[in-house]
Amino acid sequence: MNRSRLVSLLVVTLFVAACGSTGGGGGGGNSYAGKTIKLGAVYSITGAGGVYGPQSRDGAMLAVNQINAGGGVNGAKISLTVEDDASDKAQSAQKAQALIQQDNVLAVLGPTLSNSAVAVHPLAENLKTPILATSTTGIHIVPDCNFPDTTPCKYVFRDSLGEQTAIPDNIKAYVDDSHPKTGVLLVAQDDKFSSDGGKIVQATVGQYNIQLLKTIPFAKATADLSPYVTQAVQLKPDVIFITSLGGIPAKIMTSARNQGWQGQFLGGNGFNTATVSKQAGAAGKGARSASAWYIGNTFPTNKDFVDSYRKEFNKDPDQFAAQAFTGVLILADAAKRANMSLTSSSLASDRDKLRGAMESVNIQTPLGPFQFTSDHDVKQTVWVIQMDGAGGFTLVKSIQPS
Amino acid sequence: MDQQIVNAIFIGSIYALFAVGYTLVFGILDILNLAHSAVFMLGAAVTYSMVVNHGQSFVVACLVGLAASAFIGVVIEYICLRPLRRRQAPAIAALISTIGLALVIVAAVEQGNVGSFFSWLWVDGANSVAFPAGTVPNPTWHVGDLTLEATKVLIIPISIALMLVLGYVMRFTQVGRGLRAVAENPRAARLMGLDVDRMILLTLVISSALGGLAGILFGLALGDISPYIGRDNVEVRGLAVIVLGGMGSIPGAVIGGYLLGLIEIVALVTLGSNASGGVAFAALFLMLVLRPQGLFGTRLRERI
Repeated sequence: MNRSRLVSLLVVTLFVAACGSTGGGGGGGNSYAGKTIKLGAVYSITGAGGVYGPQSRDGAMLAVNQINAGGGVNGAKISLTVEDDASDKAQSAQKAQALIQQDNVLAVLGPTLSNSAVAVHPLAENLKTPILATSTTGIHIVPDCNFPDTTPCKYVFRDSLGEQTAIPDNIKAYVDDSHPKTGVLLVAQDDKFSSDGGKIVQATVGQYNIQLLKTIPFAKATADLSPYVTQAVQLKPDVIFITSLGGIPAKIMTSARNQGWQGQFLGGNGFNTATVSKQAGAAGKGARSASAWYIGNTFPTNKDFVDSYRKEFNKDPDQFAAQAFTGVLILADAAKRANMSLTSSSLASDRDKLRGAMESVNIQTPLGPFQFTSDHDVKQTVWVIQMDGAGGFTLVKSIQPS
Repeated sequence: MDQQIVNAIFIGSIYALFAVGYTLVFGILDILNLAHSAVFMLGAAVTYSMVVNHGQSFVVACLVGLAASAFIGVVIEYICLRPLRRRQAPAIAALISTIGLALVIVAAVEQGNVGSFFSWLWVDGANSVAFPAGTVPNPTWHVGDLTLEATKVLIIPISIALMLVLGYVMRFTQVGRGLRAVAENPRAARLMGLDVDRMILLTLVISSALGGLAGILFGLALGDISPYIGRDNVEVRGLAVIVLGGMGSIPGAVIGGYLLGLIEIVALVTLGSNASGGVAFAALFLMLVLRPQGLFGTRLRERI
């Protein structure tokens, strides 16, 4: 075992030990020796969400391997089954149901896309199984997973920064710096994440006296987005807001810069992966978004995560890997304190105990200090980042949770 | 509006180039080759991979991309079509088998990640990537209010030249006459001494090479190469183009491509972006009702 691996193992061991000693659930001393904590995950490894899902899978597996190598959770090993939903809502629900009812997992991570979450989360709620969303950022994910029914969902949590926080924080940060007057919104209308993001932009700009000159919806399966970008550019806005998934923001940025537009791009979580920054290249330089995570943070939990991810996968992690890694840390911490029996007959009560323990999670993670709000949403520092024009990001500023 | 007309001509060229390959196979075999969109994607993916992962020059990469696409034409014939033809299976069986091949090709590329079995082919999984800046020189010219990018402008003469060459080959050469004879009546062509299987193979190789080329140009000009570019961006529109132009007609596919590009842009500018997709397909519907054979289609006379 080489040195950095040893160091990362040591940190995780210390983390797990710390969880045991500082946990608020009172069950830190219980032993699960010889037992297995079965977890499941539904991620989009293929299809449109395949831009994000594989990193989530890798981040989650990394955490599981590190925890197991460090002695597990009170002696129990974690097993994680990852299923691919092919970015399809129906398949996502089907895979989640199989994990819950056939594989009898204690809790589920995912799904990758908000679009699928509207099917999967109510299902998990109904089957009384804790589910932790690690990348779904649309609206009505927590606590109202059964929207339009607004009864809070008890079993649904998320550790991903919602667009409802990320987009307004990002706009505010830019307004503080540059006082833009006008904007145009380019919004993909054919998925929940993107169209939710568009609604949030529309609802936010007025507060900062930005006049939204036009909203231009488009379908993601449009061969050439140039005509839409031409419409936006011809209005000469100070800002172009982009809410879309995958490679689309990069295509829009490239086209707008080629057409000579020099203004500011502002976006949401769709910007926050190195793939998008790399594809946009020089055209993306300066494009800003608010992120749940920043690769350059040097506090130990993040530095260790970044180092071990690079070592394991030979590439940089991204926000989705960090959030999934954090997701496993959260479940491990909750499991540590939940005083479960971990027998086949105790599954329902174990799920309830785990759910209860999740509410009081308070740990250090690669995202920063992490807690849930009473609505089961994230309470964490927001990092405003911008693309560096070379496939990476730089930090603009950080915003503390209110 | 001027810039939008440039946009329309550019995207029309891509539609046309893609649809010519589609219509060529339909004209000769009377079947829709739905693996064509996967060949379009593969041409772009292989070329990208040769440049970025295998360090080849763009010209070499293009040649490999075209060869890979043409090879898929051979695969389509030997695996998807010829066995069914031998059994005189209905055209729908061939349609399904080409859909199957398309799914296999897309899945193979999608599985390409660092360390995976397909890493020699593709390492970016489901991600969308772009050729690195400087792969080919891409100056941008500003003429009046117009912005012209070299890679996009280049597509127009390449498309037109290729389509003219193809038209010439079909009309005035021995091979073209052979292909048209097969299109007209395969049995009679065989009785006249033509090697029909060879003609069909040739058709699929030419069609697939054209599809691959369309994919390469698309990836180059739009900076968007992913396992899904064929399926998401051009497959259904390619069908729309050949219906507009006339199933099996090469000039029809060319005119249909530009027409669809123009209809989409006019709808976008006049009715807004929500309506543009719908208007294009409303035009298609109108064409099917008013002139089912399309602009250049012929019902009973010779095709191609």
